Amino acid sequence: MRIETEESKKLPVVNQPEKTNSIEGVRYVCSIGAMHTASAIPRVIPITHCGPGCADKQFMNLSFYNGFQGSGYGGGAVVPSTNATEREVVFGGADRLRELISASLEVLDADLFVVVTGCIPDLVGDDVGSVVRPFQERGVPIVYAETGGFKGNNFTGHELVTRAIIDQFVGDYAGPKEVGTVNVWSLLPYHNTFWRGDLAELKRVLEGAGLKANILFGHESGGVAEWKAIPKAQLNLVVSPWLGLATAEHLQKKYGQPYLHVPAIPIGANETSGFLRKVVQATGIDPAKAEAFIADEERRYYRYIEDFSDFYAEYWWGLPAKFATIGDAGYNLALTRFLVNQLGLIPACQIVTDNPPDEHRELIQEQFRKIAPDVSVEIAFEEDSFAIHDRIRKANFGQKPPILFGTTWERDLSRELKGAIVEVGFPASYEVVLTRSYVGYRGALQLLERIYTTAVSASA
Amino acid sequence: MPINLKSSVVESREQRLGTVVGWDGKASDLAKESAYAYGAGGGCGKKARKVCELHGPFTQGSVCSEMMVECQAGNVRDAVLIQHSPIGCGAGQVIYNSIFRNGLAMRGLPVHNLRLISTNLREKDMVFGGIDKLERSIRDAHARHAPRAIFVATSCATGIIGDDVESVTTRLGQELGIPVVPLHCEGFKSKHWSTGFDATQHGILRQIVRKNPKQKQEDLINVINLWGTDVFRPLLGELGLRVNYVIDMATVQELEQLSEAAATVTFCSTLSSYMAAALEQEFGVPEVKAPLPYGFAGTDAWIREVGRVTGRSEKAEAYIQKEHARVKPLVEELRKKLSGLKGYVSTGSAYAHAIIGVLRELGVQVDGSLVFHHDPVYDSQDPKQDSLAHLIENYGEVPYFSVGNRQQFQFYGLLQRVHPDFIIIRHNGLAPLASRLGIPAIPLGDEHHALGYQGMVNLGESILDVLAHKKFHQDLAAHTKLPYKRAWLEQKDPFVLSRPGAKRSDESAA
Repeated sequence: MRIETEESKKLPVVNQPEKTNSIEGVRYVCSIGAMHTASAIPRVIPITHCGPGCADKQFMNLSFYNGFQGSGYGGGAVVPSTNATEREVVFGGADRLRELISASLEVLDADLFVVVTGCIPDLVGDDVGSVVRPFQERGVPIVYAETGGFKGNNFTGHELVTRAIIDQFVGDYAGPKEVGTVNVWSLLPYHNTFWRGDLAELKRVLEGAGLKANILFGHESGGVAEWKAIPKAQLNLVVSPWLGLATAEHLQKKYGQPYLHVPAIPIGANETSGFLRKVVQATGIDPAKAEAFIADEERRYYRYIEDFSDFYAEYWWGLPAKFATIGDAGYNLALTRFLVNQLGLIPACQIVTDNPPDEHRELIQEQFRKIAPDVSVEIAFEEDSFAIHDRIRKANFGQKPPILFGTTWERDLSRELKGAIVEVGFPASYEVVLTRSYVGYRGALQLLERIYTTAVSASA
Repeated sequence: MPINLKSSVVESREQRLGTVVGWDGKASDLAKESAYAYGAGGGCGKKARKVCELHGPFTQGSVCSEMMVECQAGNVRDAVLIQHSPIGCGAGQVIYNSIFRNGLAMRGLPVHNLRLISTNLREKDMVFGGIDKLERSIRDAHARHAPRAIFVATSCATGIIGDDVESVTTRLGQELGIPVVPLHCEGFKSKHWSTGFDATQHGILRQIVRKNPKQKQEDLINVINLWGTDVFRPLLGELGLRVNYVIDMATVQELEQLSEAAATVTFCSTLSSYMAAALEQEFGVPEVKAPLPYGFAGTDAWIREVGRVTGRSEKAEAYIQKEHARVKPLVEELRKKLSGLKGYVSTGSAYAHAIIGVLRELGVQVDGSLVFHHDPVYDSQDPKQDSLAHLIENYGEVPYFSVGNRQQFQFYGLLQRVHPDFIIIRHNGLAPLASRLGIPAIPLGDEHHALGYQGMVNLGESILDVLAHKKFHQDLAAHTKLPYKRAWLEQKDPFVLSRPGAKRSDESAA
């Protein structure tokens, strides 16, 4: 929120209205949204045990009206659902789930089924484990996670589903580790509008540096075979402020795998090169290949930055100077670092919207305090769009129009503030996103194109 | 069976109308099975239960009543909808915000975000109840937006834990001096989402519509619709009528005056059935009982009935004559271009009946259709509104007519029966499969696209446009694999798992 400059120290402290339970303009969904954690893995299909609308609702909002990402192989309208009725509420839904699983095996062609539950079975107390275990004992590739909507959001649901697959499908392993192989735990699939392109770029740079990366989700993933190989990796790589840490800690206990935590997802050459050197060092592989790759990538990156600099240095009609970022801790931190350090923009208002567990909040705040040697940012944790917009209205953007890095919820606000909006997160209902990425070397350049096309195209 | 507005809880579609969500056969057989609901067999007024419903063990995610409440009550411009639920139900804020914004833009209204607030219930609320949070959110809604009305949607979770929503809505309604309207729409309570339309309309009828209107507005006509472009105003303007569009994008004031109108019409009886019948029953606002305004036959009969009910028959006849002269040559031209094509319609129930008629006016062959549910009768219980019978009488048989709750796994087999050149859809989930089979879809997001005389021309042109899309879909079809097992795709009968005597797959289970 605040930059420690002489000017900002004079600003009055802003009083916020009392925080209530109300959430207007959702920034995340419930745990069963993690059905997308399953469908993000090639040839894996979730089976939903819930009310009739839950599966469609999660898909249409997380995937369709968020970048129009598509249903993939096993998501969207493919997803089986018990569509629970009064009968399942009164008498329990275990029999119905058993029937649905059996039928799914006949109709659907999947490498793994992931049963997730909604409010109804979790409230009436269906014993989902006792339904699923006999199938597992028969050798059916199927796991389950209890993801009732009231239990948390789709971030925590993601960790539940991930853990279910590891514990119930990947299983035990005591063999040797592959030096130089890492498992990547980073962006939340589908919720992060750009996850496919971003994960592909992370895999590309890691492999360019001489590592083997199990990217686990998206079109670059090797599907269940890659998941089965998780225990063989030398290292778990958590590239996010907090999401994935629980998984990494679990894997440390389960397989004796250490993990490396890189809170900031790298955007741009400095960040990405630094990130790669950290990973190379942690794995102990020969850095020569990484250094050659970094040199090659940086050469190309900076030629493009040079091309961009003509525009950036002498464009007549003014470009935004102060910005706000509204988004989950992961993208928010990554963007803020890039905008401050690569472009020299001034952070005016940073709001973290994914409701990170309390134990991680101090670490997240610390990361923002050291954005740059001369830039320290105080963030707000807020999930209700009404309160978020209130904070943005009260932020000091100076005389120039601000640029907001946010979501569709900020479209009206950016108009009100006569600023620009770049939709970078859920929900991004006015973006169509396939391979576009905003991270790494290549993604950073695409982000530049997006930011300044937005600014320039609105100018006349 | 009169509509009961005394209870705050709406009677579900299946209770009132004998709605089914699984059926397969000839359209004429479904019409016959439904006919008794109109008094042909079982006696008028008895609830229809004669349509035999198919149930199968395999089902894919459907849609729930609460979503329909979001997309109706949540899209009233100067109201707020509170979703009394865990945060997951709130996911719907995203889709209905986008649709609301685009709808406002299409209608030339100021574009802004919708106003939906989730009470965001957590695990401990499931134990201790969520009433305090509901009260807090109602107060937040009032303080933040000064709405003219506040709607409260229930959820599966609050239904199961038994939150006494009305204790709060009644008290705060009195305190705040605006209608605070509970809408009971737990997803598990009805097998079809259209009960959610009824739940919204029930609440509006009980607490917002003016009970004792001082005067009627004899030139005002209620149009029950969604977000469609403004086609009713110019159309009914020809008859000297002013249009009151409800419920989406209406204001609370426009909802209040529903009881003062000269008549009620719609683009789709599935949507309007409850509201239109109740307005007639409670306030004497006549529901126009005619076929829906699609194709020449339907539009003629509809406009004549609007003219008769509102005392504007002369103007109606003049309009019909004028439009016939204008549109007939255009339709003739389109018929030449479209001849030999095969279409497939997969939309909501009454709407599908209407669209099939339009396709046949255009000379397009329609051998099959999938509707998401079937109401044997609408709330008016009037045979003049029997849209399926109107279809068959005017445009003939549909040999493969299926009812299925948007089940993609069956859609593959349904398309194999008839091999259409294109499909027409509204709801999501089926076009992606068709696309992977090389078949393009016309998504009728603007529900008024095919309506009236001009609608035939619109749809004809859209068909020509979408046929060009085939290149995209056929290219995809050559490079994709469906997530269904070969054995299932080779299955000739898409309803095989639901037929009486079918081996239930759980018999082979563990």
